[in-house]
Amino acid sequence: MKNTTRRAYVIYALVIAFLIGLGFLLYSFAANGSTWAASRLNTHIFTNRVLTRAGAVKDRNGTVLVETKDGKRVWNESSGVRRATLHAVGDAQGYIATGVQTLYRAKLIGYDFFTGLYKSANKQTDITLTLDAEVCKTALEAMNGKKGTVAAYNYKTGELLCMVSAPTYDPLQKPSDINTDTTGKYDGIYLNRAISGVFTPGSTFKVVTAICALENIPDVQKRKFTCTGKISLGKGEVICNGVHGTVTFERGQNVSCNCVFAQLAAELGRDKLTETVRSLGFGKSVSVSGAKTVRSTFDVSKAGKLDLGWAGIGQYTTLVNPMQMLMLAGAIANEGEAMTPRLVQNDGTLGELIDLAGGVNKNIKLSPETAKTVAALLRSNVKNYYGDSRFPNLQFCGKTGSAEVEGKKSHAWFYGFSQREDFPVAIVVCLENGGIGLNDAIPVANRVLQKLLQLGI
Amino acid sequence: MSRQTKTRRLQQRQHKYRYVDRGFILLLLTVFQLFSAVPVVFEGGSFYWQNGAQFLGYIAFEWLYVAVMHYGFKKVNFELEFIAFFLCGIGMTLGASVSKASQLKQLCAIVLGVIVYDLLLWFLKDVRRVMQVRLPLAVLSLLGLAGSFVLIRFSVGAINGAYNWIVIGNGLFSIQPSEFVKIAFVFVGAATLDKLLTAKNIYLYIAYSIGCIGVLFLMKDFGTALIFFFTFLIIAFMRSGDVRSLLFVSVAAAVGAVLVIYFKPHVAARFAVYRHVWENVDTTGYQQVRTLIYSVSGGLQGLGIGNGRLRYIAASTTDLIFGVICEECGILLAFAIALTFALIALYAVKCARTAPSSFYAIAACAAAALLLFQTGLNIFGITDLLPLTGVTLPFLSQGGSSMICCWALFAFIKASDIRAYPKQFKSAVSGGALA
Repeated sequence: MKNTTRRAYVIYALVIAFLIGLGFLLYSFAANGSTWAASRLNTHIFTNRVLTRAGAVKDRNGTVLVETKDGKRVWNESSGVRRATLHAVGDAQGYIATGVQTLYRAKLIGYDFFTGLYKSANKQTDITLTLDAEVCKTALEAMNGKKGTVAAYNYKTGELLCMVSAPTYDPLQKPSDINTDTTGKYDGIYLNRAISGVFTPGSTFKVVTAICALENIPDVQKRKFTCTGKISLGKGEVICNGVHGTVTFERGQNVSCNCVFAQLAAELGRDKLTETVRSLGFGKSVSVSGAKTVRSTFDVSKAGKLDLGWAGIGQYTTLVNPMQMLMLAGAIANEGEAMTPRLVQNDGTLGELIDLAGGVNKNIKLSPETAKTVAALLRSNVKNYYGDSRFPNLQFCGKTGSAEVEGKKSHAWFYGFSQREDFPVAIVVCLENGGIGLNDAIPVANRVLQKLLQLGI
Repeated sequence: MSRQTKTRRLQQRQHKYRYVDRGFILLLLTVFQLFSAVPVVFEGGSFYWQNGAQFLGYIAFEWLYVAVMHYGFKKVNFELEFIAFFLCGIGMTLGASVSKASQLKQLCAIVLGVIVYDLLLWFLKDVRRVMQVRLPLAVLSLLGLAGSFVLIRFSVGAINGAYNWIVIGNGLFSIQPSEFVKIAFVFVGAATLDKLLTAKNIYLYIAYSIGCIGVLFLMKDFGTALIFFFTFLIIAFMRSGDVRSLLFVSVAAAVGAVLVIYFKPHVAARFAVYRHVWENVDTTGYQQVRTLIYSVSGGLQGLGIGNGRLRYIAASTTDLIFGVICEECGILLAFAIALTFALIALYAVKCARTAPSSFYAIAACAAAALLLFQTGLNIFGITDLLPLTGVTLPFLSQGGSSMICCWALFAFIKASDIRAYPKQFKSAVSGGALA
């Protein structure tokens, strides 16, 4: 009898195991609650797997981009706005992974662990973006049906003012042939190319080579280079876009001379080039209000002299993310300090749970001196080569690129920034197989910038 | 120890148990049940009078039961009964709300359960009587289980992949024989008069257990088989104290399980979704994923009865009832219910310490452990912390067989409480003779 009584304590072990299990269950409810409650399968908030009950998403001026009215999701009345802001706002089914309606769904539906979805039946949480819907609409129009992305931000505060990705679609009239199309017109339609895209940088990368040269070759700005239309490196040669004759470092940057930068890259070598590329934050992902950018890739570990030359002018295997290029422009503009772009405004209702802060991107290390020198180079590009008439009233600095892609039209690139104190805006334009930087990307950039100037930031 | 000291100690022990005011608790219970019945009876502006009548009937039954037991049979304490009434009430309320139909069958099952409970309690009063029926019950239950397997195998066939339902009268009634064998399993296992509890006298019980668990395996009712195995371990340990042998048995069982999985891959396939439910949201992970989504949607206080969505998923009032409680009544209440089963187990241990015979002690611990283990398998199974085995949540899941079994198991716990048999208790205290 005494034995039995003592042995009864084995039940305690079971009780303890059960309590541990309950504790773990409660913990997993707390830890995963927002993800689970925001699931597309939750019929409290989704009807037929379309989001129907969530707070509004507004642009910086309070324009409603999407909201719930009488149990239905109502979008902005302008088709242009809907299409231009689709990737930032996110679709109703959750295919666009970096969209606010997907990333912040738990917040939008008003979920929290303590009240679950109880409050959300009557009141959900609104989210205000930093974007200007009208500017986004203008950007999409300017892209004129080409694939690619346009992103502009305030390089002093980090606020994204414009972020457009194409191809896009109208969420109210979603094309029915997205999954069956074979022409490729919907390629990557659910991707926000500014955040999730990587492209061959072409001549835009010459800025990186220039930074490396400025930091490693003391008298590079006084050097003279000779361009005969091509340059022999190792076992082959790099062809230039023209015959530039004898040029200075600055002029080489202006006319985007391949000979100058291929030669410099080969001279600098793998290690120094790689170090500069790393110190500028390529290869690191950043969080744009919770949306993680895709890492840019730069690998010259197996590159010979010729390959190194190609890498120096942004060809070879290098792929860059447009948001990374925007941050580089921001760093040059802001005396070496790159603000991380952010998309969501913290109006106090979202709390600190969300990583909204953005702040300075510590991955980008650029000395104020070099930043100033490079800024002057980029200003010279516009002033002495592209022409200030292409950017009226903007005091613009920048660099074009026409990245060659095998078998297809080149990518048209432009990125740069305004030096106006009252207009601290940086921009990146990347048109996928869209043509030449100078002729195709610059007009898009200018149109967006003029609209921003007109509406104010 | 002298007789006087023994008596004094017993009185002291008795003093430690404070009686909970019956009337007050019953009143609280009634208020709770009336409040939770309102949204069901008047759901959506309609008036479901059958449900209303039924809830009133249930509450009346509770009062009547306590009155009859107290004044008629001089019973003094009703803690277990109140807990069971509380749990059954919630199960019935949600069942009525989800099905929008009368819960007459469920109410009958509860009443039947209470009757079985009191009959068993009466029967357990005499340990010699218990010993007499032990062997016949063992043989009968094992034969019954095997017989029903054969019957099901060649008539109804498998339901949800397991041969554990006997269906009578074109689906009017369905019985789960394994639930009734659970009662016999605890009864047979605990029934012993041996003063010296050693390994020797449990061999027959081992053989009986192997028989029961073997048939359950053939029935493909792995969840119940696991419950039986676990109960066997508890009983065998309490009877023999032989940790080494039990470790050996456990290892052998684990090896057996591995072999089954190796030679019968379809068994393993049933559990393949474990920890991968989010990759199979529309197939094998369907129920678990919905349970998780809607459980957290309820928050701590719930969305209110009738406002949930898990109720529309298959098995919402049986296997998934815990998730429905989370969503509609709140995580707080759901976890309080889960804790209830842990407290019942602690209560059983406390009772076992003062039980008049080792039979009562073993039976109480085994029954409480079984209920707690089953609760764990259910709650953690539907939330993917353990593999889903499809066992019910005691007292709350809809189903007659399970309901009657739970009440019967409560009888084993109650029987170990020294206040369960007031007359015996009084004579024991005054006479000082305790078995």
